[in-house]
Amino acid sequence: MRNLIAFLRRFQIFLVFASLQIISLVIYVQFLSFPRSQYLTTASNVTAKVLTWENDVTKHFDLSKNNYALQRENIRLRERLPEFMYTLSAGKVKVEDTIFKQQYTYIPGMVINSSVTRRNNYFTLNIGSKQGVKPNMGVFSDKGVVGIVHNTSEHYCVVKSVLTKDINVDVIIEPIHLAGILKWDGHDPRRGSIDGISNDLRIKKWSRVITRGGSGIFPKGIPVGKVERIESIEGEPLWNVVVRYSEDYRTLQRVYVVKNVMIEEQQALEGQIPPDEEEDVLR
Amino acid sequence: MNNLTKNIIRFIVFAVLQTLIFNQLEIGYGFHLMIHPLFIMLLPFEMGVISLMGLAFLMGIIIDIFSNTYGLHASSLVMMAYFRPLVFKFYGPREGYDPLKEPSVFDMGNRWFTYVFGILLLIHHLWYFLVEIFQFNQFFFILQKTIFSAVPSFLICLLLQSFLIKKSKTK
Repeated sequence: MRNLIAFLRRFQIFLVFASLQIISLVIYVQFLSFPRSQYLTTASNVTAKVLTWENDVTKHFDLSKNNYALQRENIRLRERLPEFMYTLSAGKVKVEDTIFKQQYTYIPGMVINSSVTRRNNYFTLNIGSKQGVKPNMGVFSDKGVVGIVHNTSEHYCVVKSVLTKDINVDVIIEPIHLAGILKWDGHDPRRGSIDGISNDLRIKKWSRVITRGGSGIFPKGIPVGKVERIESIEGEPLWNVVVRYSEDYRTLQRVYVVKNVMIEEQQALEGQIPPDEEEDVLR
Repeated sequence: MNNLTKNIIRFIVFAVLQTLIFNQLEIGYGFHLMIHPLFIMLLPFEMGVISLMGLAFLMGIIIDIFSNTYGLHASSLVMMAYFRPLVFKFYGPREGYDPLKEPSVFDMGNRWFTYVFGILLLIHHLWYFLVEIFQFNQFFFILQKTIFSAVPSFLICLLLQSFLIKKSKTK
């Protein structure tokens, strides 16, 4: 016993150092994959409140650019209204539609805190569980996909953006519907890459990349970006497709959270499939 | 103003500056301005390592909460606090440090501060990016990020001292 106390005394400093390191690294690893609580993230009330004050000042910096983007989106949507189209065949009767049923609804929100230069970048939004936001909902902006909700509190939520290590959004390259998985290597916030595309397939430069919508997190067809470069990976029969994001995440402000009305139905169905150990990486 | 209140005020000032101003500056190109290591550097000479590490952990966790890094800053600040006495001892004068002075650039001189703070900042940044990226085949990228962030952070820390710190009267 005396020896033990003497030992502890002697290595006191190192033991304190080691325990503090272990605590912080355990928190880091745990929260990276699955956050247990909101208290160590920017979704917690105190933090988010402070960041909201800060954002009240800085949100005006990109105001004209954001207004312009919203205006353009408005125009795009207005062009689809029947009142703005020329009717070719007069006398058609409008019928109440029973073929289409709304699957996705959208919750508008604003980014109050963001980073783009870290290895894993998260955005904090000013909407939370009170507005119906839940973890694993998709988030996009008028120009492109943004990320997936990681953690929520009552009034705020943290979004795991596409600029993180394990984001794995399933995307397709447009004209030929090639499916792949979006990744980010941590170097450049304007470019990501697509994994898992076999190199016997021809891809045109600058073809559009959109979300696939297979998992029910995103609807199909939300823009991601354009193919900028196609490189061959040494020793593997795969392309490394470099995508230039259509959204500039450095000045992102207005976003929409996707709420899939039928997600529970889809997940209940897919839950009946026996799990395959190799495929659990795919989201 | 006694030492305790001074350091409490500094703690708050550095936490606010880092979270609300320097975290929001997205310069790109791998530049990462971190000024909170300066707080650990400026704590008094006679402070014990354990209390240093405790304060470093607290500071790191606060910054982590505000930037969604979950313990990354805490880990690297604790690392820096652990090495502080060793580096201080290595570069210290033979008769020991004058307890009335503080480890700032004004009291200890340019040369001493550059060596000591430079080494500590490199340790801090290297650990931070090692844990953050955690891919050893990207070691060159880690080194590049460390250098690109440590040099501007060092310069900003030099500048900040002239705003925040007064020269000790006894010299």
